[in-house]
Amino acid sequence: MSNSFTPQNAPLNGPSEKTSLRQPLVEMRQIYKTFKSAAGEFIALRNINACFYRGEFVSVVGKSGSGKSTLVNMITGIDRPTSGSVYVDGVCIQELGESAMSAWRGRNLGIVFQFYQLLPMLSLIENVMLPMDLCERFPPAEREARARALLRLVGLEDYADQLPAEVSGGQQQSAAIARALANDPPILIADEPTGNLDSRTAEAVFNIFLGLREQGKTIIMVTHDRSLAQRAGRMLEIADGVLISDSLNGEAPHPSSREAGAV
Amino acid sequence: MMRPRVRKILADLWGNRLRSLLVIASITVGLFAIGVIATLHQVMTEDLRLGYAAANPPNIRIVAAPFDQGMVDHLRKVEGVRQAEGLRGFDARLESEPGEWIGIEFKAVPQDEVRQIAQVRLVKGKWPPGDREVVIEQYKFADIHAQLGEWITIELPSGERRPLKVVGVVSDQTVGAFASGPGFFLAPVQGYINQETVEWLQQDLPYTYNMLYLTVDGDANNEEHLWEVANRVRDELERAGGAVINIAVRGSYDHPNRRYLEALAIVLVLLGFLIVFLSGFLITNTMQAIIQQQMQQIGILKTLGSRRYQIILLYMGLILIFGAVAALAAAPLAYQVAFQRVVPLAQTINMAYRGPRFLPGVILLQVGMGLLAPQLAALAPILQGSRISVREALSGIRESQQARRSWFDRMILRLRGFSRPTLISIRNTFRRKGRLILTLVTLSLGGAIFIATFNVQVSMDRYVDMVSRYFLADVNLTLTRPERTLEIIQMLSDLPGVAYIEAWGTARSEMILPDGSTGENVQLLAPPANSRLVDPVLIEGRWVKPGDQNAIVLNERFMSDFPYLRVGDTLRLRLNGKETDWVIVGYFQLAGRSSGLLAYTSRESLLRVLNQPDKAMTYRIVAEGEDLSKEEQEALGRAIEARMAARGIRVLDVTTGSYLSNSAAQGFAALTGFLLFLASLTALVGSIGLTGAMSLNVMERTREIGVLRAIGATNRILMRLVLTEGMLIGFLSWIIATLAAIPISKLLSDSISLALFGNPSTLAYTPTGFLLWLGAVLILSALASILPARNATRLTIREVLAYE
Amino acid sequence: MIAMNTPAPSHSSPLIRACQVVKVYPAGGRPVQALKGVSLDVYPGEFVAIQGRSGAGKTTLVNLLTGVDHLTEGEIWVDGAALHRFNENQLAFWRGRNVGVIFQSFYLMPTLSILDNVVLPIDLCGDYHPRRSRERALELLRQVGLEEHAHKLPSQISGGQQQRVAIARALANDPPLIIADEPTGRLDSVNAENIFQIFQSLVEGGKTVLMVTHDEGLASRASRRLILSDGEIIADDAAHRLKSEAAGKTEG
Repeated sequence: MSNSFTPQNAPLNGPSEKTSLRQPLVEMRQIYKTFKSAAGEFIALRNINACFYRGEFVSVVGKSGSGKSTLVNMITGIDRPTSGSVYVDGVCIQELGESAMSAWRGRNLGIVFQFYQLLPMLSLIENVMLPMDLCERFPPAEREARARALLRLVGLEDYADQLPAEVSGGQQQSAAIARALANDPPILIADEPTGNLDSRTAEAVFNIFLGLREQGKTIIMVTHDRSLAQRAGRMLEIADGVLISDSLNGEAPHPSSREAGAV
Repeated sequence: MMRPRVRKILADLWGNRLRSLLVIASITVGLFAIGVIATLHQVMTEDLRLGYAAANPPNIRIVAAPFDQGMVDHLRKVEGVRQAEGLRGFDARLESEPGEWIGIEFKAVPQDEVRQIAQVRLVKGKWPPGDREVVIEQYKFADIHAQLGEWITIELPSGERRPLKVVGVVSDQTVGAFASGPGFFLAPVQGYINQETVEWLQQDLPYTYNMLYLTVDGDANNEEHLWEVANRVRDELERAGGAVINIAVRGSYDHPNRRYLEALAIVLVLLGFLIVFLSGFLITNTMQAIIQQQMQQIGILKTLGSRRYQIILLYMGLILIFGAVAALAAAPLAYQVAFQRVVPLAQTINMAYRGPRFLPGVILLQVGMGLLAPQLAALAPILQGSRISVREALSGIRESQQARRSWFDRMILRLRGFSRPTLISIRNTFRRKGRLILTLVTLSLGGAIFIATFNVQVSMDRYVDMVSRYFLADVNLTLTRPERTLEIIQMLSDLPGVAYIEAWGTARSEMILPDGSTGENVQLLAPPANSRLVDPVLIEGRWVKPGDQNAIVLNERFMSDFPYLRVGDTLRLRLNGKETDWVIVGYFQLAGRSSGLLAYTSRESLLRVLNQPDKAMTYRIVAEGEDLSKEEQEALGRAIEARMAARGIRVLDVTTGSYLSNSAAQGFAALTGFLLFLASLTALVGSIGLTGAMSLNVMERTREIGVLRAIGATNRILMRLVLTEGMLIGFLSWIIATLAAIPISKLLSDSISLALFGNPSTLAYTPTGFLLWLGAVLILSALASILPARNATRLTIREVLAYE
Repeated sequence: MIAMNTPAPSHSSPLIRACQVVKVYPAGGRPVQALKGVSLDVYPGEFVAIQGRSGAGKTTLVNLLTGVDHLTEGEIWVDGAALHRFNENQLAFWRGRNVGVIFQSFYLMPTLSILDNVVLPIDLCGDYHPRRSRERALELLRQVGLEEHAHKLPSQISGGQQQRVAIARALANDPPLIIADEPTGRLDSVNAENIFQIFQSLVEGGKTVLMVTHDEGLASRASRRLILSDGEIIADDAAHRLKSEAAGKTEG
C-alpha cells in the first residue's frame, strides 16, 4: 500500500519513504499550491510528496519565502492545497469543512506558532485548558490538573496564573507548547517556534521538543535555524516551493529510520 | 494632481465603505434628530404665535346684557379701541347619534357678515354660513358624527329642536382663549351661524349681541394696557345703559395652547441636548476604533517622515468629510420627517400650521454641528492615536497596555466556574476599558432616554386617570333652570341603576383685584362639602371640609397668574353683582395652566353667599356597579333624560363622566404621542451606536478567532463566544440605563409638569420601557455581533494569522 | 544603474556613529536587554549587512538607527544629527528627509496607488511640487522597472514588485542613507536577487545601505558584515572599510 504513495522523483524522497510497510501518519501526495493575486499566480509549492511516520522529529528548513510555512499549513489544514491531497492518520483533511476541520485539528494536532498566539485575556493555565474545553477532551474535573502537569513539563508551574503579557517571550512559547499538548494530540506542528527567541531561550524550547519526541510524539518543526534543524531526526529542505532534500541526521535516529537502515 | 495624503483620505473613505457608512450613519442619526427637533421647535413656536396673531384675535372680550349694533359703533370710539364687533353666543345641544346629545357652543357672526376680529380659516365647505346653516370648528368636528351637507338636530335650552345644515369646517384660533371658558381641550363643539339663524333659533331680541370683541391700539400684549382700555369701555357701556357681566383680556400672540407648546418645547430642547451628547459619545467611540485599525498606517506615515500635526490634520480631514456627508444626508431627511410630524400635532393643539418651508437656521445648525461636533468628539482618539510611537504602531503592541493589573482586572481574573470560552468573552468585554466605558455610556444614555420616555408617558397617563377623579360621576345632568334639589333627587333615586346623586352648585364670578378693579372670570364649582364625587389632586393646602365658611380651593392657573396669592389669603369675588370674600384653603391640579380660572367651594357656602333656596341646576349621578363603560354611562344618561322629560323638567345637558375626563386629557395625549416619537428617535441613535460599536469590537477580534480556530474551535463555539460578549455588553448597558433612567425620567417629567401645571410631577414607572429596551438591546447586540463574526469565521486561518 | 546626486563617500567622518547603545524593553516584571552597549561607525558609501539569529537585536538596532525607537542609553549620531536628543516629531521629519526605510513586509499604503505611495514622502516632508514630485516618482518607478504599474494598487502587484515600490518610495526624498530590515525576507530567491541588485546599484550610486538579512549568500556579497548575537556585535567584517580607510590615509 505504501508503494502507491511513493513519489515519482525518488532521489528527493527521504529514506523514511522506503522505511516499511507501516502506515505513514502524515502523507502528502502531489501537492501544488498556487496563490492567485491581482498580480498573477505565484506557485508556492510544486509537486510535494512526503510521508511522516509516528515518532519522527522532522525539521523543515528553507529560506524565507521558500514555501516551508505553506507546506506545514497544508498539514495543519490552515491552508488547502490547490491540487493533491493530504492524509493525516487516514483522514483526507481537505475534505473537511472549516468548522469540522477546526474540531478535528483540536484533537489531533498541536500547533505552535512563531508569535506564540496565546490569548492575552486568559492566564497561562487557562490558555492550556482552553483546547480541552473546546474539544471536550478529558472530564472537566481533570482538566485543571492536567494543565498544571503540562505547565510543569515546560517548567512554568510557578507562572500558571500569570497573564501572557506578564511573562517573557520564551515562557510564552513554552506555554504555547503546553497548550499544543493539551488534548494529547499525536502530532505537534511548530512554525518557527524559536524565530522570535534569543539563542538561550530557543535552546530551552528546542529541548522541550526533544523531550516530547522521547515520549513518542511526532513533531514537525519549521525553522530557518540550520543548526537546530540538524539536531532533529530528519530534515527536509525546501527551496522555491520544491522539496530539494530529505535527509536523516546522525543524531537521535528514531525507530522508523533504523528500520530504513535495515532494509 | 491631488496631494497623496488627500488622496489617502478619500481612498480610506471609499476603501472601507462599511466602516465609513457606520461613522456617517452615527453622525447622520444625531444630526437628523437635532434637525427634526430644531425644525419642530421653530415651526411650532412661530406658527402658534403668528397663526394666532394672524387671526386678529380679540384683546378684550366683554360679556354683557343684550346690546345692539349702535352700541358697538359707539364703543368703537372709546380711546384705545381699534376694532369692535358684537357677537351673539349661546349654548345648546346637538344630537350626535340618535338619542345622544352633546353640548355645542354657538357664535353668531356679525350682521354685516364680515368678521374682522377672530377670523376663522376655512378648512372645507363654505364660509360664512347662510340661513339655517352651521359651520363647525375642526377640532371637535368628528364628535358631531355628521358630514358636510348633512343636517344636525339642535336642542335649545327651551327644549325645542331645530335642524341645521352643516356647510363648512373652519379652524378658529381663539377656541378656549378666554379664562372664563374651560380651556381649549375642554371646550365643547363650536358652531358658527349667522344672525338670521340666531333669530330663527332663539326667536327673541332680534339683532342684539351679548358679547363684545375688541382689539386695541398700542401695545396689545401688555395686560395692564388691555385692562385700562377694557375698563374704559365698561364705563362707557354702563353709562350708556348696558350691563357688563364679565370682562376678559388676552394678548395678540397669546395662543390658548401656548403652555402646551412650552411644555413640548422644553421636552424637545432637553432631548435634543441629550441626543447631541449621545451622538458625541458615539462618534468618539467609532473614531477610537478606526484610529485603532489605522495604527499601522499611522506608523508607516511616521516612518516616511510625517509629523504629528500632519497626522492629526489628516484624520480631521477625514472626519470633516464624514461630517459634511452626514449633514448632507441628515438635513433633507430631518426636513421630511419633521414636517410630516407637525401636521397631526398642529391639529391637536389647534395650531395654524403654515406649511413646510426652508429654515436656514436649522440647516445652519445641522451643518455647523455636522462639521464641528464630530471634530470635538474625535479629538481625544485622534490626539491619542497620533501620539503613539512608530515602533508600537508598527508592531501593534501598546507598551502602556502591558502588564498592569488593576483591582478590577484581578477580580475578573479570579472569576471561577466558567468555561474557558466563556471566560474569554467575559475578559474580552473588560479588556479595553476605555472603549467599554464609551460604548456603555452611549448605549446606556440612549437606553435611559428611551426608558424615561415610557415612564413619562405612563406618568402622564396616570395623571389623566387622576383627572378623571374630578369626574367620578357617571352622568352629569344640567337643567335649564334651578330646580328644588330634594325633588330632583327623589325623582332620580328610584330610577333603576342609579346608586347615588349629588346636587352641585355652579357660578360664574369675577375676581376683584387688590386695587379694587375687576379681574378675570372665575368658574366656581360647588359640590356638597362632603362630596363623594371629587377626589382632587392637591398641590398645596387642603380641600373644602364640611363646616368651612367661605372656603375656596383654586386651580393651578391661579398659581401661575397670581403668584402672590397664598393659602390662607383672602380672595374677593363678585357673584351676582355682589362682592364677597373667600378664604383660600388650598390649590389643586386639573387640566393644566392653559385651562381657565377654576375654583371649588362647598355648595353650602355658595348657597349662603347667594342667599338662595335649596335649588340646583347641576346634578351628578353615580350608577350601581363600578367602572361603567362609556356605552353604559350613555344608556344611563338616556334613562335620566327620559325620566326628566316625563316629569316635565327641561334638561340643558346630559354628559357622561368619561366624556369629560377624555376631553380634559386630550392635550396630554398629544404630548405622550409626541414623547413616543422622540423615544423611537433616541432608540434609533442608540441602536446605530450599538451596532457600530459591536461590529468594530468583533472586527478587532479577528486574530483571536483565527487562533481559536487553530486550536480546535468550531463555528458554534466561535459564534457563542462573540454573542456572549455582545450580549454581556448589551446587558451591562441595560443595567446602567435602568439606573440612569430614574433621574432622566424625573427630569423629563418635571419639565413637562412644570410647563403644564407649574409644579413638579408625580412620577410613575412602567416596566414597559425597561423590558422593551432589554429586548431591543439584546437583539441588537446579538445582530451587531453575529454579522461581523460570520465574516470572521469565513476567513481562513492563514489570512487571519498572516502576521502583518 | 541608478544615478543619485549624493556626494561621493567621505573617508574621514562616519555617516553613522553609535556609542554604547543600550536598549531595554519592559517585558512583564523582567526587563529584557535587547542591546547591551553596541558601538558602531558606518562610513558613507558602505553596504553593511547585519546578521544574527532571531532575537539577536538586529531589528532593535535598525529601529534605533532610523529613529523609529528611542534608545535607553548611549548616543547615536547620523550625519551630524544627534538622534538620541530628538523628540518623536523631530525624528519623523529628519527621517523623512535623510533615511529611506524598507521593511520586510513592504508596508505600502494599501489604499494609495503605486505612484501615490512614492509621492507620499515628498508630500509629507519634501519640497512638494505636484508636477515635479510626480515626475520624480515616475522616474524612480522606471528605475525599479515598475513604470507601467504606476496606477495600480499595491494589492495588484506581486510581493517582489511591492518591495521595489517600497525602495522607490524610500528614495523619494533622495536620502543619503537606506536602511532595510529583511527586505528579501518574504521574497523567493529570484525576487530577492533582484532586490539585492538594486541595493548594489544604489551603493554604486553613492548611497549608504544598511540591510538586515538572514540570507548568508546575500550577506556575503555586501561590503561589510556585522553579526549580532544576544544584543552584542560579535563579528564585524570590516575589510572593505579598512581598505577604504587606508586609501583615505594615503590620500590625506
